[in-house]
Amino acid sequence: MLEMLEMEFMQRAWLAGLIMAVICPLIGSFLVLRRQSLIGDGLGHIAFAGVAAGALWGASPVLSAAAATIVGALAIEKVRTKLSDAADMVLAIFFYSGMGLAVIFTGLNKDGGFNLGSILFGSLMMVSSKDLLIVAALGFCTVLFVVLFYRPLQYLTFDEKSAKVAGLPVERLNLLLALLTALTVALSMRIVGLLLVSAMMVIPVACALQTARSFRGTIMQSMLYGLVTVFFGLTISYYVNLAPGGTIVLTGTMFFLLSCLAGSKRKAKQPAPGHCHCHICEEEGQEHAS
Amino acid sequence: MENNIIMVRGLGFDYGDGWVFHKLNLDIAEGDFVAVIGANGAGKSTLLKMLAHAMPPTVGEIYYYGKPLEQFREWQKIGYVAQNPMKMQREFPISVEEVVALGLLQPGKLWHRYGHSEKRAVEKALLDFQLTSLRQRKIGELSGGQQQRVFLARAMVHSPKILLLDEPATGIDTASKVALYAMLKQINREQNVTIVMISHDLELAADAAKSALCIDHGICFRGDVHEALQHHHKHGYFYR
Repeated sequence: MLEMLEMEFMQRAWLAGLIMAVICPLIGSFLVLRRQSLIGDGLGHIAFAGVAAGALWGASPVLSAAAATIVGALAIEKVRTKLSDAADMVLAIFFYSGMGLAVIFTGLNKDGGFNLGSILFGSLMMVSSKDLLIVAALGFCTVLFVVLFYRPLQYLTFDEKSAKVAGLPVERLNLLLALLTALTVALSMRIVGLLLVSAMMVIPVACALQTARSFRGTIMQSMLYGLVTVFFGLTISYYVNLAPGGTIVLTGTMFFLLSCLAGSKRKAKQPAPGHCHCHICEEEGQEHAS
Repeated sequence: MENNIIMVRGLGFDYGDGWVFHKLNLDIAEGDFVAVIGANGAGKSTLLKMLAHAMPPTVGEIYYYGKPLEQFREWQKIGYVAQNPMKMQREFPISVEEVVALGLLQPGKLWHRYGHSEKRAVEKALLDFQLTSLRQRKIGELSGGQQQRVFLARAMVHSPKILLLDEPATGIDTASKVALYAMLKQINREQNVTIVMISHDLELAADAAKSALCIDHGICFRGDVHEALQHHHKHGYFYR
């Protein structure tokens, strides 16, 4: 273990991986609970189009991906609020359009300029100090945003209509969340890859949902699952000499299966829905009707 | 003279296929308990959503305490419970205590950390609505009646002056309905909270409410709740 941490590139990989392990589930918790689990994938495709456009016109791939995902995320958010009944369909259309644009830009580009494999799967073992700094700044902004706006975000995730009636700035909060999601996808792309970013936004949260009993618990557990997943994924990758993106995702999937088992055992021990333990019901030996 | 805290003037709403209602005028006095009745699709929920500023009217104005809705900022004076709030949220991981605490959020204090007074308010709401023993339970695990108590506690935790309720008794059994209406009556009579409630349970509503408002693509009756009940027994819902 210590031998693995002696190398500088592994230290950077570990730090970048652990930061991603915290921020992806942190943002992902709100997305999954709002039934937007696939938004990371959708934005990933838009980011891919951004990278391809950047390569075609000689712009920085990270900047062009960030610009494309920000525009995409804000557009998805606008359409989601206007056409809430068709939100999943709209997301799918953005998804395909992003891929379509990426294919066209790639076809027009005769000089190359980007590595498809590194965009999809990242290059965790090639993380530079600059990359690490960008991810750390992103992590700080994400944690600060969630800490400051925790309750408003909780309210609009659980019951957006009532949050609006309570006078909360729902549209602005939604746009901020969309912006942060877009930046997480775009800035993490080079390090962990588009596939891993979206997987890390969903799988740890899916694990936490099997066992958590509260909103706060879901967020804390999803970050814990994220950290454990990256820890084991990277360790396996190093010792078995496999691609880190793949080992991290598959480790997460294994934890998801284990959490399903733990969750079903826990549910079996719980009282039936509607059963109340209040002193009135227990004294009278009755249940609240469901 | 009655103190009208809600005034509606020339209100109209169109989903794009004709007016749901048009040129609707309405006054609601402080301390009133209005049972909004009418057939399905008559426009009751549309009216309540507009009162709750969840949906903007196509034409017309709504005034709270004499201020037009777009200038009104004292949202803590209003509590709202939507129809079937848990419809799509059965597996949502949120505890009863967390849901009740959400009611304390105020637009100008988004960063505000909850202190002793907020914690006391949550404790009181949990106690008032008999939820103390259920505080750590996931809301999706509760019965329909218990869930409605949680949403009422959330709406009442910041001591609002007006409660807007969209069919709060939907999907719950008769015993829980009776308890719910008794609770609402107590809130109205003892705390002088003005309540506007859509209801299909006219018999129960007649006991709790002070007045009735019958909607059928406009107001077809506004007056005494017992008179509305008698008319309903004889002729069904009011029609213009």
